[in-house]
Amino acid sequence: MAKIIIPFPFRKYTDSLREVLVESNTLADCIEALIARYPGMNSIQDHPALLSIFINGKQTKEEWNAVSLAHEDEISLIVPIAGG
Amino acid sequence: MTELSQIGRIVLPQSGWDEIVSHCRRKLAGDFLPGESEVRRAYGILAGLQEKTEIKIDSVLPVKKNARAVEPLKTYMDTVMEKYAKPSKTPMGQRGWITDPLELKECYEACDKEDLQIFGTYHMHIVAWEGDPLRDMPTVLDTVLARNSNLFTFIIAMVDESNPSIKAFYEGKSEKEVPVIIEPV
Repeated sequence: MAKIIIPFPFRKYTDSLREVLVESNTLADCIEALIARYPGMNSIQDHPALLSIFINGKQTKEEWNAVSLAHEDEISLIVPIAGG
Repeated sequence: MTELSQIGRIVLPQSGWDEIVSHCRRKLAGDFLPGESEVRRAYGILAGLQEKTEIKIDSVLPVKKNARAVEPLKTYMDTVMEKYAKPSKTPMGQRGWITDPLELKECYEACDKEDLQIFGTYHMHIVAWEGDPLRDMPTVLDTVLARNSNLFTFIIAMVDESNPSIKAFYEGKSEKEVPVIIEPV
């Protein structure tokens, strides 16, 4: 199972869970499964340009469908914080 | 656990407040650390612990990098700022800030390791505006950028650099101000 690390501001959507385990073969499946389980997490896609995804610490910029996941991969979802 | 929108007060130890002010003054003076974006604006993250409707800030995490000029974040920021930022003599590209994703990830990991929760971000206002001489309120831009963030926006008013002040607003909304108590150590 892949492990998704939930960023702080989004933990209100995952019952305060820090991480969520998801069975999936690709990054696209993984995100879809996360949102299916916690619909509020869909808001990570509010501004697609802002979402950065790290797999085992390395940022990926590939199409989600093209990214295969292995057992115990760790996925971090990061939405930058901005101010004026 | 009580939602952040229901928090009644925020306690900031004097040492944390001193750290924030020191960060702001250093950046204003143009004294930059190695690897730090050379911009005269200070912003950072505040983390700590929540007990019922009170937050206690235990950690001040100055953010070093500004990803404002890095695509695709640049285009996003330009678009938002053109729509919501107040006209200014400062070029658009030098206004606003956005965290570097990797630095933010490392910040989140450090907080998780210490079992600290991230409650918000701080940044300073340094120029007096008509109708807001102290600049201790969030701007429209601050509110837009904090929308749905589930975080507090802490405004550090530094118009009078010798007499700074701090205010906190849930999701940058002026009507959602929560008192910040600076507690002597």
